Amino acid sequence: MLSRSYYALVIVLAIPAFIWLVPTIWMLSLSFQPNDVLARTTSSTGFGLIPIPFTFENFFALFAFGHTPLWFFNSIIVALGMTLGVLVVSTTAGYALARLEFRFKRVVVVICLVGLMIPEQAVFIPLYTMFADFGWHNSYQALILPRVAVPIGVFLMMQFFKGLSKDIEEAARLEGVGWLQIFWYVMLPLARPAMVTLAILTFLYAWNDYLWPLVSAQKREYFTITLGLASIQSNFAQSEGLGRVMASGVIASLPVVGLFLIFQRYVVRAMSVGGSKG
Amino acid sequence: MKHVLLGAAIVAGMVVPAAAQQISLGRFFGACEDAGTDTTTSVGEACIIQSIINAASAEIDGVTVETLPTDWGNYYDQIKAAYASGTPPDVHVMHRHRVPEFAGLGAVADLSADLSDAGIDTADWAPAALDAVSYNGGIYGVPMDFHANLWHINMDIMAKAGLVDDGKPVLPSSPEEMLEHAKKVKNATGHDYLAADFAQYPIGVRLTLALMWQQGANIFDGDTATINNDAARNAVTAMTQLFDAGTANPQLNYADSQQAFLNGESAILVNGTWVVDFYTAEASKSEVALNNYYVADFPTLFAEGATWADSHMWAIPASLKANDPGKYSAALKVLAFINDHNIDWARTGHMAVRNSVLNSSEYASLAHRDEYTGTAAIARDTPPSAKYGAIQDVLNRELQAIWLTDKDMSAALADAEAEVQDLLDR
Amino acid sequence: MSQQQAAAVLILPFLVIYMVFLIYPFFRGIWISFHDWNLLAVAFNPDAKEFVGLKNYSRVMWGKNITWSFFHSPFWQTGAVILALVTFWAKDAGRLKSSLAWLIIFIAFLIFFVMGLYPDEGGRWYDRRFWPTVANTILFVALTVPSVTFVALFLAAALNRETRAMSVLRTLFFLSNVLSVTVVTLIWQIMFSPRQGLVANITEAFGGSPIIWLTDVQFAMAAIVITTVWWSIGIAMILFLAGMQDISAELYEAGALDNAKGLKAFWFITLPNLKRTMTVVVVLQIILHFQVFGQVHLMTNGGPNDTTQVLVRYIYQTAFRDSELGRAAVMAVFLFVIMGGFSAIQLILGREES
Repeated sequence: MLSRSYYALVIVLAIPAFIWLVPTIWMLSLSFQPNDVLARTTSSTGFGLIPIPFTFENFFALFAFGHTPLWFFNSIIVALGMTLGVLVVSTTAGYALARLEFRFKRVVVVICLVGLMIPEQAVFIPLYTMFADFGWHNSYQALILPRVAVPIGVFLMMQFFKGLSKDIEEAARLEGVGWLQIFWYVMLPLARPAMVTLAILTFLYAWNDYLWPLVSAQKREYFTITLGLASIQSNFAQSEGLGRVMASGVIASLPVVGLFLIFQRYVVRAMSVGGSKG
Repeated sequence: MKHVLLGAAIVAGMVVPAAAQQISLGRFFGACEDAGTDTTTSVGEACIIQSIINAASAEIDGVTVETLPTDWGNYYDQIKAAYASGTPPDVHVMHRHRVPEFAGLGAVADLSADLSDAGIDTADWAPAALDAVSYNGGIYGVPMDFHANLWHINMDIMAKAGLVDDGKPVLPSSPEEMLEHAKKVKNATGHDYLAADFAQYPIGVRLTLALMWQQGANIFDGDTATINNDAARNAVTAMTQLFDAGTANPQLNYADSQQAFLNGESAILVNGTWVVDFYTAEASKSEVALNNYYVADFPTLFAEGATWADSHMWAIPASLKANDPGKYSAALKVLAFINDHNIDWARTGHMAVRNSVLNSSEYASLAHRDEYTGTAAIARDTPPSAKYGAIQDVLNRELQAIWLTDKDMSAALADAEAEVQDLLDR
Repeated sequence: MSQQQAAAVLILPFLVIYMVFLIYPFFRGIWISFHDWNLLAVAFNPDAKEFVGLKNYSRVMWGKNITWSFFHSPFWQTGAVILALVTFWAKDAGRLKSSLAWLIIFIAFLIFFVMGLYPDEGGRWYDRRFWPTVANTILFVALTVPSVTFVALFLAAALNRETRAMSVLRTLFFLSNVLSVTVVTLIWQIMFSPRQGLVANITEAFGGSPIIWLTDVQFAMAAIVITTVWWSIGIAMILFLAGMQDISAELYEAGALDNAKGLKAFWFITLPNLKRTMTVVVVLQIILHFQVFGQVHLMTNGGPNDTTQVLVRYIYQTAFRDSELGRAAVMAVFLFVIMGGFSAIQLILGREES
């Protein structure tokens, strides 16, 4: 199994993997270099990939003066809130659509299908006027709510539930267990792999969202890290404070990367579990 | 006596100190996170304004200021979005060219009645400054500066090309002469003659506009767009001839053109008054190639002198004045503070707006200030319009098309005229 | 509790949020598109908007003196006709599924019609930027989606093993997907800078002169595509991996007996079984990248000369820079029609599979 060709493959693939990493390494390296050196040249050592001259000043400055921690905190709240909301809403609706029979079921499915075709960016203008009319902008709910009921989440869970065998359910029904209990005690635990995938996708999506926070969050206290970073990315910062801006990028990414590294094994396992059930 | 003292004590006891007002302030100029509160030693637009704001927050009793930084290119999109969602910043900077749009809609407050109470003396403002913030008989903001485009000059390169006379640079008086000088510089030093941001912000546009105004023309007159004409063609060709001769690079954006100048790769940088102190500081550093730095008025290449100029001012949303008198007076105090520090802001290179500052020895002794005294007299702008921003976008796009993508000049000017006409017609 | 009641409890949270925040805004957007609506003016005075029916649609998508001719874009139009004929023949010869064939013919007809429109003497498009912006967006999608799909497919195939090293490699490739769009644009904007960029530094070290990527008409779009491909590989790769792991190991064992290993196994076993995943990946990518905004807004500002201006950014600018909410809503409806079309395609194709 671990033949010579396998090792060769690993080595061959390691090269593009490294190249893929270079931009990120570069950002990391620049964040540790002093601003005045960077204003003149960015390739001090090893094309700039090695941080010599080295300094911590950019990171100190970020925590002493910057709003980066606040923005980062906002992103966490929004992303977690959205993920939780999506999970709750998608698992419940997904299960109902997959397994329960009820009047108007076809209607609901069609309505969901229609929603699948509406891209988020097509509704941001009317959403903006709606929130403005109620004065709800500049708030966490404005940043979280519009994206919670994405039909794709419901469909993902619906497909998953459809793929489960009906035996457990039927056995539980014979014992007189209520539908809601079946959902809570039986279906949810089984749905964990799909829930993890959905959670990760939603979290990433929430973290990355730029357009909606751009139009909705006008007060600095509600900027997400994505928005905050963009606001200091102006040309002035680039020519005078390159190291500082890169440090912000590093801080903005570290936690998400960390989270991903922790959960990626879960994701891969979830994929293989899903696979063997197929 | 006892009565008086008792009375005074009662009155003093009745004056309840107001709770600290938090004022949100929107501005561009860039980010400067560690500006501190010493307004006399900060360098560069971003840090000087932030130090003034920080000082205001620290020194005005009962008022703290929270700054909302935005990048210049996006500023008005965000301010409009903020107004439209009902949460504009309590105080924000604005260009005078936006006054017709914002004041016309009733977005910004008329401050005329409240300025003197807040300690702002409108009589001290230069007449042009008062004019800049006035609209339909009301005063809609507190002016902070005039800024204009200048020619920033690397004297070392000019000297090598033989273009220095009596300590001053020799600048062209016609497009043909400019091309001659450009070739001289290229042949003598191998460096570019002129650099500017032709690719990003409308600096290249303003350069071209200045050349149009120097021929006595403008981009629209009343309700008619007048762009596809000889004046515009002459203005554009004056620049493209430099590109074609390899003496200027139209592909550089703001940061890159600035860096080229600081690295000694270009004799001249066309940029604004806002970088004078920044370049002065850079020129004094040994690691920076720029050494001998001079600031000149935009030269007259055609019939009359002209250079693009605008004005920064601070405005307060009308909704604040109407709904929150406490915050409104706090906001006015912040504006008064900024007005009091006009000399500090002028240190950037911008021209001050207060007569008392303009006539002071402190102002006269600011670095390079005597080199571009002629600028105030030749300052011009396009006619006022509520569609100023959109018009400038059209010009930026079409002109950039000419010098970045080989679009035919007549076609681009014709398209620009058609679109500006559309905007004027709406 | 009956099924009906349980279903109601379970469905309600989703339905409520969905109706309020997706369905209602959608219809309201259409309503806005029928008005002349200045963002700021209406914010101060709700009566300042004016019902104008279809006028906005005309001003965005139509023009003065627009005529049609078969010869206006000969390349595209004859190409479309040939495509339609070939597809028709393939369908009849049984080589192509009926639904897919009709889809292609429909698209060919659209191309044939749209590319023949042009303004005649003294005429012009009312909104000169709209159609070029749509074309840019289509170009961007056409460049990005195949690139991402092929690279992701290749990576998934190469890394589809449960060893430590492979797991590490997969993580490394997925890492870029985790970064937020502003971090990605920050990195690549500096990477492409002719003065400070890594690309420029390396080019200069080898004696070349650096390309000014982001303001060069020929390279700006390429720069955006490269950035996007670098960023988006992760999810596509994972989806392909999931699809591959769904393929039963027995198929490979049977194939091995027939001496179909490595590349042959990939071609004859993996690929055909990945059709469903492939459809999902491609359509998801199309929908995602059609709505590109951040990369263009932060890296090139739509330039130079609008060559990288894309639809969603144009909607944003029309609404917040030009304050024209009605026109922006029209473009949003247009976006919906196109995206809806793609989603419908995916559903139809998906139905066919099962």
